[in-house]
Amino acid sequence: MLQETTQDLLCARIAMLQKATHALTRALTLKDFGAQFAGVVQEMFSPVDVHVLFRPEGSVWWQPLMSGNAESGGGALPPVTDEPTPECVVRELPSGVAVSQRLSDGAAFRFYCIRDSAMTGDADLDVITLRLLAYFFDTSYHELQTRKKRKELVFSLNHRLLQLNSLIDTGIEVTKLEARESPQRLALERAAALTNASAGRVRVLRGDLLREEVCFPEGANVAPGWVTKSRIEAEFVFGEETYQFELYNKESRDGVEQFDATDHLLLDALVRQVHASLENRYLHTQALEKQRLEQDLLVAASIQEKILPAKLPDIPGYDIAGINIPSKSVGGDYYDCIPLADGRCALIMADVAGKGIPAALLVSSLHAYLRAYLESGIPLVDLVRRLNQVIYTASTDDKFITAFVAILTPETGTIESVSAGHNPVYCMRADGTVQELNAGGIALGMLEMDFPYQGEITVIDKGEGVLLYTDGIPEAADATMELYESHVPLKEFLLQHRHLSARQFIAGLIHDIRSFTGNAPQNDDITALYVVRSR
Amino acid sequence: MDQQFTLTKEVRGECLIVTTSGYINNVGGEAIASECGAHFANGIQDVILNLEYSKVVNSIGMSYIIEIIERLQETGGTLVFTNLDAAVEKMLSIMGLFKYARKEATVADALSALGRKGVGHESR
Repeated sequence: MLQETTQDLLCARIAMLQKATHALTRALTLKDFGAQFAGVVQEMFSPVDVHVLFRPEGSVWWQPLMSGNAESGGGALPPVTDEPTPECVVRELPSGVAVSQRLSDGAAFRFYCIRDSAMTGDADLDVITLRLLAYFFDTSYHELQTRKKRKELVFSLNHRLLQLNSLIDTGIEVTKLEARESPQRLALERAAALTNASAGRVRVLRGDLLREEVCFPEGANVAPGWVTKSRIEAEFVFGEETYQFELYNKESRDGVEQFDATDHLLLDALVRQVHASLENRYLHTQALEKQRLEQDLLVAASIQEKILPAKLPDIPGYDIAGINIPSKSVGGDYYDCIPLADGRCALIMADVAGKGIPAALLVSSLHAYLRAYLESGIPLVDLVRRLNQVIYTASTDDKFITAFVAILTPETGTIESVSAGHNPVYCMRADGTVQELNAGGIALGMLEMDFPYQGEITVIDKGEGVLLYTDGIPEAADATMELYESHVPLKEFLLQHRHLSARQFIAGLIHDIRSFTGNAPQNDDITALYVVRSR
Repeated sequence: MDQQFTLTKEVRGECLIVTTSGYINNVGGEAIASECGAHFANGIQDVILNLEYSKVVNSIGMSYIIEIIERLQETGGTLVFTNLDAAVEKMLSIMGLFKYARKEATVADALSALGRKGVGHESR
């Protein structure tokens, strides 16, 4: 009868264990596990109290998983000095029983069943049950650990995938950022998140001068003196600035740990992406600026092409030739020969300070006003004075025009001229001398005041001529920056070649300049107008 | 150090709405888990996690969120993410969280979705 009762009790307890297995193996944490296990013991033995202790592998300290029920107040536990072994040890105590066992992973557990009387009255059955409970704890714990490891492995694999994905995404995103957005801020956020850093900082330094500081999380205090338990950094130099990235305090569920090799790789990779992004932005800006300049030059060249004479007029009794060779950056040289209604002819040579569209537009203005005033028949000095006023109004402070304006009366060879701050015009005489024509005044548009200009009149005879030019000729430089004027004074060249036709003279002059400058780049426009009286 | 993480909560019936602001790391994740844990004992069945003001989540913060999902699974509850930044959404997706949790555009959408399974909407 007693045997049947014992068997029934044992079967009932086994059934309880089987029932509890499901709940125990689904515990999320070790703490939950301990609580569930204590519940099983409680249900089985109805003791006064149950305590469950756990000792991690390598530790000497027991940590409570379940510290008794609230009613008992979880009093002091009886001392047990047995070292747990792989075999379950059941130790009888005056106030109950203690069960210890080493677990399969080296950790250990111990539980106390505190009682005020014998559990069942069958000590052997109790011991068997307690051993079964210990076995149950071990297998369920093993299941819990396996599940935990599997979850950690999946989490770790997903996290690696996330790191790789985020690295690629960040690379794409930093290239898409608007110029006003900071790639270093985005990279810092991503680096902190991917490495589990508590905080991070980017500092942009020019020498010792701090030009920018970005902290993550925003407002994080990472000032000197802040305690860092772990830290990694990476930096690069772009232009004159050094970009320093720092990450602080790698987080774990157990506190701060050291950054690992993967963290270094991630930070380095993200920092390289920022570097590449900044370089790309710079190159893109440069390309846009170059494109804008090229467009600018095309427009300027187009304006200049329309203004410069495609063909010089035929003036009976005169041989005339001109040339304009613009430098790479289109400038503001201008020349023309304009037949007037009364049979006279205007000769113009001008040079605008500056290059590009602004200079071309100013030349365009000069061209338009000049033609209008020439047709009005006003005296030449008044014409130049008016030009000064309108050019002053049309130009910015740094823009002005040097100009030489002359009116040739072909029948008499009379030349009336005014120079507005321009190079002297050379008048080549039949006797082998050169006269300079330079009466005039200030450059056009230089001063607002109604500045008086002075004119001069000269007459050229058969075989004599005038050479109008811009400073691109005397200031043409060779590779050593020696000027053409110091090599061959223009006056001398004029005298030496005065027997040539106008076209031959211009061609010879250009050839001589090119021979002198060689492969040196042309820094300024070269413009000349040569008029020789042939009869 | 100022982590700049803040959290607000609202209970509607058996649903807890948690709105976070700032970096969800160890500190942020623990705060969310702690808040949820405190309400589970009071019969909270579902959790809506509004991440509108949290643009960065690290894996430690995420591990706390996974624990909340597991805890809800035990009781047949649901976690719904709302107002997700594109980067955070992608991150949660890669980590496989949407297999066990839902996402909705807004808190109102989440409440509506949960309402279909019988969650009351009155304020507590």
